[in-house]
Amino acid sequence: MWRDPGVPGDSFYEVRPECTDVPKSRFKIKAGKTLSVRKWQAAFTPEGYLDISKTLSRIQHGGIHPQIRGEVWEFLLGCYDPDSTFEEREQIRERRRVQYARWKEECRQMFPVIGSGRFITAPVITEDGQPIQDPLVLLEANPGKGVLIPPQDGVNGNATGSSSTNTANNLEPVKDKKIIQWMLTLHQIGLDVIRTDRTLVFYENQENLSKLWDILAVYAWIDTDVGYCQGMSDLCSPMIILLDNEADSFWCFERLMRRLRGNFRCTDSSVGVEAQLSNLAAITQVVDPKLHQHLETLGGGDYLFAFRMLMVLFRREFSFCDSLYLWEMMWALEYDPDLFSMYEEPDAANEKAEGSKGKAKSIRKCGKFERENMRNAAKNSEDLPISVFLVASVLKDKSSKLMQEARGLDDVVKILNDMTGNLDAKKACTGAMKLHKKYLKKAKKA
Amino acid sequence: MGSSTKGVNGNYDYSFKILLIGDSGVGKSSILLSFISNSVQDLSPTIGVDFKIKQLAVGGKRLKLTIWDTAGQERFGTLISSYYRGAHGIIFVYDVTRRETFTNLLEIWAKEVDLYSTNKDCIKILVGNKVDKDKEREVTREEGMAFAQEHKCLFLECSAKTRENVQQCFKDLVLKILAVPGLLENGSIVVKRQILKQKQVYNAPRVGGCCS
Repeated sequence: MWRDPGVPGDSFYEVRPECTDVPKSRFKIKAGKTLSVRKWQAAFTPEGYLDISKTLSRIQHGGIHPQIRGEVWEFLLGCYDPDSTFEEREQIRERRRVQYARWKEECRQMFPVIGSGRFITAPVITEDGQPIQDPLVLLEANPGKGVLIPPQDGVNGNATGSSSTNTANNLEPVKDKKIIQWMLTLHQIGLDVIRTDRTLVFYENQENLSKLWDILAVYAWIDTDVGYCQGMSDLCSPMIILLDNEADSFWCFERLMRRLRGNFRCTDSSVGVEAQLSNLAAITQVVDPKLHQHLETLGGGDYLFAFRMLMVLFRREFSFCDSLYLWEMMWALEYDPDLFSMYEEPDAANEKAEGSKGKAKSIRKCGKFERENMRNAAKNSEDLPISVFLVASVLKDKSSKLMQEARGLDDVVKILNDMTGNLDAKKACTGAMKLHKKYLKKAKKA
Repeated sequence: MGSSTKGVNGNYDYSFKILLIGDSGVGKSSILLSFISNSVQDLSPTIGVDFKIKQLAVGGKRLKLTIWDTAGQERFGTLISSYYRGAHGIIFVYDVTRRETFTNLLEIWAKEVDLYSTNKDCIKILVGNKVDKDKEREVTREEGMAFAQEHKCLFLECSAKTRENVQQCFKDLVLKILAVPGLLENGSIVVKRQILKQKQVYNAPRVGGCCS
């Protein structure tokens, strides 16, 4: 059989030459396997209706050609309904861009560095709303560095930030709790932005760094329950690389957060992801009881060692390119054609779901994972995303090593850390699907 | 490098658990990387908790250090606190060019440790990082020393970037741990416990016959 060796995907996401320590990607663009530009365009009718089922199987097997990744992701993440025309989608896109610009302007009015092409890494406000004249913020006013506090335009045209009194005098104490809360996150976002995907040439450009900062800052403003939490910069960064328009990147990220925001919601005593970790424990107990027992004996029954995998969806275990490949396979497998309406009009979607569950939804248009859930009428299927099965499959893969070699929790973490760069995204997905099937079967019996 | 999974089987005299704590971006992970692998590079923010192992010999004793590196964002605090249990040494890190990272050690991190650490005798060291950026310095050496004295910590200034004093931080900490009998006992108890566990675990996969 003739086999296409494929084109390496890494060339689309150039790594800085001095970064020699970066894991190599396995993803290759393969003819007949990867969703190609031609195949993608052929899936649309002249009006723009998209036959998504044709593309899903391709994505589940071979990923997406990097050239069209951004626009395909918009569908996978539920930004758009495949059952709509080009024109309808253009209208939505336009509306969303306006909405984003409005939010961004709101933020800019509260803190003028937003949208200025610069950003800050030092705190700008105290918890009780007093503006801080941090010497570092002033230092960041050095234009050569790219990280800046801007002249307070409109308020004091000639204040370049070189004089601390000028900058400080322009800032009144903030009373609104919501605004204080938001402003408290801004330097944390900055501190993470300068450390996110810095091996990529793309982020050598200050403009791209400040885009990342702006989007995360606007998101923190509109989702006050979550605000900003470390890990979110890892999730947002690819969107900026894949989509040129900042507002489009924002909306893709916003849709991704709809799936994941539960993980980032924190209370005084817990981080949201802990709910997924207990799901992981429950699944492992079913599919690999001996491993679960072993982990419990070692004091790892809380599965906290899997925290990062779930928080940033394996971004740290895979190369940049392979994590995109993994994500799109996951989303294609999980694809639910109701996603768009669920996000757009949550109430309407609920009614629909209650009225005629399963009927309205064409099983053909669902991803394989979602189909499996529908077939088994799986309860709580929404609470068990494929990511949890992915972690379970990775653990199961390392099961014998963990059983034989791990004598303490540190060994567990070490074995899992050593996987970095050695995982195969495709195999991990196949493994997750198998476990999912097994789990549903056993759960049904029980 | 001396740290291998297979090498865990007791080829050391003591095993110590060390924690790195402090604000976001002060260089906790960089200090750790500099200590473990002599390398310097840009690192991504730590998500939750990460850790590394280093085996070394100090004062004729073979030691295994398990060093837990933690995320700096305050909201991970409660999660991280579950890792404080049983720590023999804690490294408080701040950035000498960012004053708030220094004050937060006192206001946030020291309190967390007092609340959650279970080893009363646990040794603490205060480390001011990024001394290579001396021009931007905001916290003086004297202030660091005063803080350390007040909180009964060891104290050092270092640079993960130039690697100045990085080895020394860990060496000072370990020497002090070795000098506290209560902690030593604890360190070897951990070893004993692990050997015990090892025995239990060792049989498990065989009985199950699930190895392939």
